[in-house]
Amino acid sequence: MLEKLFVAPSKCTPQIDFDPESRILAVEGSSYPENTFVFYAPMMEWVKAYFGQESEQKTIVNLEIIYFNSSSSKLLFDFFDALEEASSSHDIEINWIFDARNEVAMEAGEDFTEDFSHLNINLVEKQ
Amino acid sequence: MEQKKLIDEVEALRESFDSTTSQIIKDLRRQEKIMVRSDQRQQREYDELQLQLDEIKRLNKEIEDTQREVLLTVGGIGETRSKETFNHVRRVAEYSKLLALKMGMGIEEANLLKDASPMHDIGKVGIPDSILNKPGKLTEAEFEVMKHHALLGYEMFNKSERPLLKAAAIIAYEHHEKYDGSGYPRGLVGEEIHIYGRITSIADVFDALGSKRCYKEAWSDPEVFSLLREQSGSHFDPKLVDIFFDCNAEFLAIREAYKDE
Ligand SMILES: [Fe+2]
Ligand SMILES: [Fe+2]
Repeated sequence: MLEKLFVAPSKCTPQIDFDPESRILAVEGSSYPENTFVFYAPMMEWVKAYFGQESEQKTIVNLEIIYFNSSSSKLLFDFFDALEEASSSHDIEINWIFDARNEVAMEAGEDFTEDFSHLNINLVEKQ
Repeated sequence: MEQKKLIDEVEALRESFDSTTSQIIKDLRRQEKIMVRSDQRQQREYDELQLQLDEIKRLNKEIEDTQREVLLTVGGIGETRSKETFNHVRRVAEYSKLLALKMGMGIEEANLLKDASPMHDIGKVGIPDSILNKPGKLTEAEFEVMKHHALLGYEMFNKSERPLLKAAAIIAYEHHEKYDGSGYPRGLVGEEIHIYGRITSIADVFDALGSKRCYKEAWSDPEVFSLLREQSGSHFDPKLVDIFFDCNAEFLAIREAYKDE
């Protein structure tokens, strides 16, 4: 069984809380790490391993990213790529959560739904 | 047979080429999208920052203006207690700044001195009216009480950590010291007297002599100038007296700009 992945948040990196038991993968916070791809490498690997295991059960992905730089934006696309690939054999539901006043996050959510039309993405507006 | 195998291979190549190409195209489009979004956002963030910066500047100026006004008003209280005019503190402030600049002080410190110098007589709020407003000459005992205003002013501000109020404390304490050690309250000599004290002293006396008071007429310029010359090295720091005469026109221009109504 894959172990839980938890990364505590910092000023410039989000909290990552991926739990294989509850099947909830959550990223929450700001994202402008010094080296984005190094920071997210463990997460990407974890996701690959996780979807490498077969399962009938639904996986929920909660993304609430308040602020992100351009390389984080690129990484999110890669992450969605991985989800899209996994979606042929897994039931995945994605919640893109954003504050109503956060235009940037809202637009990014719209971009993702546009680009990944096969994925089940909910845009969740927080009040 | 050979031919068929070759065709299959080329077909496979084409397929892999197609998928690689479309992957590249997809990536390029994505890159483009990220860049456009990021530019839009940068612009928004920059605009927002500029707005905030303007607001901070405005608030800062507001704070500084308020502080300056409060100091002038408070300084004015000390002066009105002794029947000086409000413009007196303004002129002393400007003369002090000018002297500070001319003797090579940086603009920031000169401005500090300008803002602090109006407080030189604030200690007079603690001196009884009967002495402050006595029409004739003070008795020796009364003069001792009067001298106390220097220490009183010092004690008012000395405990503050603010550079401005610290400067005000020094000025209040030392503006009646004289270069030859004959001043009060401590009888400091020469450069023992803080430069703020030496500067405010000449600015204050120059202005007081040239102004009309209920108990005296204004001295004429030649009379004022000859006293300053005479007192160079005894009451005043000679370097400051020199500066005063070297830049005389600038001092007179300040006097004109802030003259009493
Ligand atoms: Fe005084
Ligand atoms: Fe004065």
